[in-house]
Amino acid sequence: MSSRTRAPFALVAPALVASVLSLVPVWYLFQTAFTSGFAAVVDELFQSRTLQLVLRSLLLMVTVTSASVVIGVFAAWVVARSPLRPRLLLIIAFSLSLAIPSYLAAFAWVSWIPGISGFLGAFIVLTFVCYPFVMLPVIASMDISDPMSEKVALSLGRTPFGVFRTVTLGQSRPAITGGALLVALYVLSDFGAVAAMRYEVFTWVIYGAYRAGFNPSRAAILSTVLLMAALVLTLIEARVRSTRDTFRLGSGVRRATNIQFGIPARIATITGAVLLVALGAGVPIWRAIYWTGFDSSNQVQWDVVISSIATSFGIGIVTSVVTALVALPIALLSARYRGRASQILEGSTYVAHALPGIVIAISIVYLGIRTLRPLYQEMPLLILAQVLIFLPLAVASMRSAIAMSTQSLEHVARSLGAGSMMTLLRVTIPLALPGIMAAGALSMLSSVKELPATLLLRPTGTETLATQIWKFSSVSDYASVGPFALAMILLAVVPVAVLTATTRHGVAR
Amino acid sequence: MNQLRTKARVKQLIAGAMAVALIAGCSSGSSESAETSTGPLVVYSGRSEALVAELFSQFTTQTGIKLEVRYADSGELAALLITEGDASPADVYFSQDAGALGAVEDAGLLSTLPSDITNLVDSRFRSTQDRWVATSGRARVAVYNPELVSVVPNTIDDILNPMWKGKIGFAPTNASWQSFVTALRVIRGEAEAEQWLTAFKANEPVPYEKNGAVRDAVNIGEVSLGLVNHYYLYEKIAAEGADAVVAKNHYFINGDVGGLINVAGVGVLESSKNTNAANQLVKFLLSVQGQEYFGLKTFEYPLAAGVAPFSELPTIEELNPPAIDLSNLKSLAETQELLAKTGLLTK
Amino acid sequence: MTLSLSIRDVSHHYGDRLVLDSVNLDVPQRSITAIIGPSGVGKTTLLRLIGGFEAPDKGRIEVEGEVVAENSRLIIPPQSRGVTIVPQDGALFSHLTVGGNVAFGLKNRRSTAARARVTEVLEIVGLAQYEKHRPSQLSGGMQQRVALARALAPHPRVVLLDEPFAALDAGLREQVRDETVRALRATNATAIWVTHDQEEALSTADQVAVMLGGRMQQIANPATLYQYPISQHVAEFVGDVFVIAGTSVGAGNHVQCALGDAVPIANACPAGPVNIVVRPEQLSIVDEGSAGSVSVDVVGSKFFGHDGVIEGTLSTGERVVIRLQADQLPQVGSRVGVTTRGMLLAYTD
Repeated sequence: MSSRTRAPFALVAPALVASVLSLVPVWYLFQTAFTSGFAAVVDELFQSRTLQLVLRSLLLMVTVTSASVVIGVFAAWVVARSPLRPRLLLIIAFSLSLAIPSYLAAFAWVSWIPGISGFLGAFIVLTFVCYPFVMLPVIASMDISDPMSEKVALSLGRTPFGVFRTVTLGQSRPAITGGALLVALYVLSDFGAVAAMRYEVFTWVIYGAYRAGFNPSRAAILSTVLLMAALVLTLIEARVRSTRDTFRLGSGVRRATNIQFGIPARIATITGAVLLVALGAGVPIWRAIYWTGFDSSNQVQWDVVISSIATSFGIGIVTSVVTALVALPIALLSARYRGRASQILEGSTYVAHALPGIVIAISIVYLGIRTLRPLYQEMPLLILAQVLIFLPLAVASMRSAIAMSTQSLEHVARSLGAGSMMTLLRVTIPLALPGIMAAGALSMLSSVKELPATLLLRPTGTETLATQIWKFSSVSDYASVGPFALAMILLAVVPVAVLTATTRHGVAR
Repeated sequence: MNQLRTKARVKQLIAGAMAVALIAGCSSGSSESAETSTGPLVVYSGRSEALVAELFSQFTTQTGIKLEVRYADSGELAALLITEGDASPADVYFSQDAGALGAVEDAGLLSTLPSDITNLVDSRFRSTQDRWVATSGRARVAVYNPELVSVVPNTIDDILNPMWKGKIGFAPTNASWQSFVTALRVIRGEAEAEQWLTAFKANEPVPYEKNGAVRDAVNIGEVSLGLVNHYYLYEKIAAEGADAVVAKNHYFINGDVGGLINVAGVGVLESSKNTNAANQLVKFLLSVQGQEYFGLKTFEYPLAAGVAPFSELPTIEELNPPAIDLSNLKSLAETQELLAKTGLLTK
Repeated sequence: MTLSLSIRDVSHHYGDRLVLDSVNLDVPQRSITAIIGPSGVGKTTLLRLIGGFEAPDKGRIEVEGEVVAENSRLIIPPQSRGVTIVPQDGALFSHLTVGGNVAFGLKNRRSTAARARVTEVLEIVGLAQYEKHRPSQLSGGMQQRVALARALAPHPRVVLLDEPFAALDAGLREQVRDETVRALRATNATAIWVTHDQEEALSTADQVAVMLGGRMQQIANPATLYQYPISQHVAEFVGDVFVIAGTSVGAGNHVQCALGDAVPIANACPAGPVNIVVRPEQLSIVDEGSAGSVSVDVVGSKFFGHDGVIEGTLSTGERVVIRLQADQLPQVGSRVGVTTRGMLLAYTD
């Protein structure tokens, strides 16, 4: 329910700061792109190869987003609506693929089935990496939606599948579109998976401009294309989302869902779930184990592994806390004080999400070297870069959690005399805690996987699990990659457990 | 209500002040080492840690100079240096690729090296402005399977013969292959280079992920011939023993562009405040110890100190590589355009 | 009169608890049946079975003569039964407009006929001008009315209402309830209404079914149920009562108790001790000592505005409750005379 009251300054100010920060890459791009003049920009952008690769990126984006939505909704349905149990195990299993960086997953697949490289491999890997972005908010949406409305729909004559389509999915639409946007932006920005699969898309040209052309200004020009794409996608999603509200109506007593679930349906569901986990997480995990070898010829330096785990974990925790704090004002504004202004603030955090990690990293280098020199190549700037990269994830998941939580308690608080700020602190935020924790968990998962910004901005000598994997895979020493890859997946258990806890029944209320 | 808001604002200010203090506190420790000249030497290395870390620690043991090495892709480091400009904390840039060194040089970031360093290396293998020197070289070769190949192609144009249709392996995304194509463009001109590439494409070359994969494919006879760097063969022999390897290297000699020698190299940043230590590192890389390291660990070509290459390799004189200003290999972007145009880059 | 719904010997377990024990119920067409009972007694389970979301372990359910479920077999699923629901909290589809919600169960939703029906039904519930609004823009009471309209639109065979006004505040409840009844009558719907509010049941239904302990204790029209409850449990459940001890005398039509020596009772009882159930409105205050009266010490009194209730003790020490007009409330501590009106209810243990 949109509030007519003005948003408190204490919310707007930090939200503005966060928004400005997330536009740093945009500022950098426009500074750098136009150093050679406008004509050069136009020239560069309208090459036929540029257009061809943009189309390929768009093709990949559309196909992966569609597949992620289908699989994500299926997985959410298995968790939130099917009789399969235990729910905890299902969520963990389905979320595992979030722990695996796209480059690693891609290499796991292509080293097993070399013929899969190209579009097919890129499509498969990116879909498995991305579907949880759709699944998680849809689970939350299905959890809070009144199962009674599905029974009512049945009683009004719809078939069970019709009910799913028109009611369950209809009510989950904001969750689906929000997740789809994140997937689309991620696919546009990905380089690791498409490189390993040798499927040439637009990010290749950007990376090429850095790695082969040594031309940051050309890379900046090319990146503006992704920026435009992100802008368009964000606008589309905002438009679709605003015409469909997901609000709690009434108190909603949770009654047991009784679905007619015969044996064939049960077998089909279990098969689908097992297949999903096996392909999404099982293949990379198995390959990591395979590489590690666990025979005597492979001397694993466990102390190095452990110190890398500690570093990754430390950076991950700090990043997740900072990201959650930065995202919170924007998410609160967007969920409770809906209007043009909050839409713009929220949208600004998404706009840079289509940029490859290296562009964001370079833009932070640009900022850091000029204005924050003492912090350069110190942890704070690395954290800042990571926060900017993951901010959209956090904002999206927090916003949908806050929007879904009931406002009646807040109204009670206001009626008892609490001002807006007090209500936010004492009622809204505690209610939204599961969403906040989920956002933190997602940020931590992403931080552990993150590579390009880490390589450029880490304090020299700092090794994370991601940098170790990069180090050894760049010389094709996969036996050494194995233990670090496994460690990364094991470390992911912590945030995945947090994610699972936040999606549990009753906590999401 | 107003009271509440004021309270909230005060809390915000306090929090903000604390944050600033925290950040300032974090950084105060580090700001010193970047400024004084007694701190560690900061190296940006595009050569992987697995390859060179050992050499760096040998340097520290010998000279007592501590090194802080940042490992990343050569090109990304070049972009980093260019973005950092003269505020860069780096002292030395160690690159896998001459083109990257050329780009950083063009941005005016490398200092001129003293003559006692530049004299260590042949003029073919250093910057024309003496701002970087090569530390080791790699030659392009055709690795072939003698069981399948009786007549080895002599020049790079020979492989365009239809008899090699579908039998040549290459790594389209590999930087060294792309450097070769750049050299082709530089030496022969755009039109002829495009002609060569088109003819090559017509011969249906088989693409592989990496040079190592090409070499392995040649070894098992999946393809007869592969365009790779010379040392891949010796890597495999060292790892698996001579009995496991049937493949052999064929070197393109007599100035043929197919025999391009590309180099890894090093430069000192103009903005460095540790020039003495930096020059010491460069000299160390060019010393007998350093050059033998490259020669024996990675089977690359030593280019300084009169160190002979690994015994099984032909010498540089024997190779007679094509003449080219290696800095010109930085036009890699246009190379990729051409490769895409001729269909050799996209899968 | 044909039956819209027929429930025959239905028993059902929830886990290993027997929730419904051989329940029978006939619901005539175009009538309103209220099912009342304490919470947790199985009313909602019964609705679920009628709706088709589960099949009864034992027994048979027929809708308009058609067997829809029998002995653990679900013969006709919910979407084909023509039984619609108005749930406790409305459960409107938040992503559709009011009109979209109401039209949900109609075939060919875009046709003129369907649109006309939507308007018609919305008019019946008095919300015609809100057709384009979103549910989140409506108040709780309005949402309930939309839920009703949605359930009525597709001409259902039976409409089930599950404590439909429980979530509304008291003042609103009565108003919405009246409008609901009006709407049901106006559409000639057959409705089954589950509630724990007896006042609601008694004032709106054509027949009331009392469920206690998983069994249908009594099914009758409101007046009969109120005046002639079949058991002490039912009597105590429907309406306010208090209980005193007594003995059945004579031919079994009178009892002797602290309220009098020969007080008439409604149901015949064999001679012997009985429990006498008295409704507060059956006692009248008279001058103390007047003929046929007994003395009662007033120990408590409550003023409700339109009437009042006093609590008192008889000579035996038994507690009585008397309902009377508010302007006649005696003082606490006084002694009054009390006579009975009408017939009391007596039950053996």
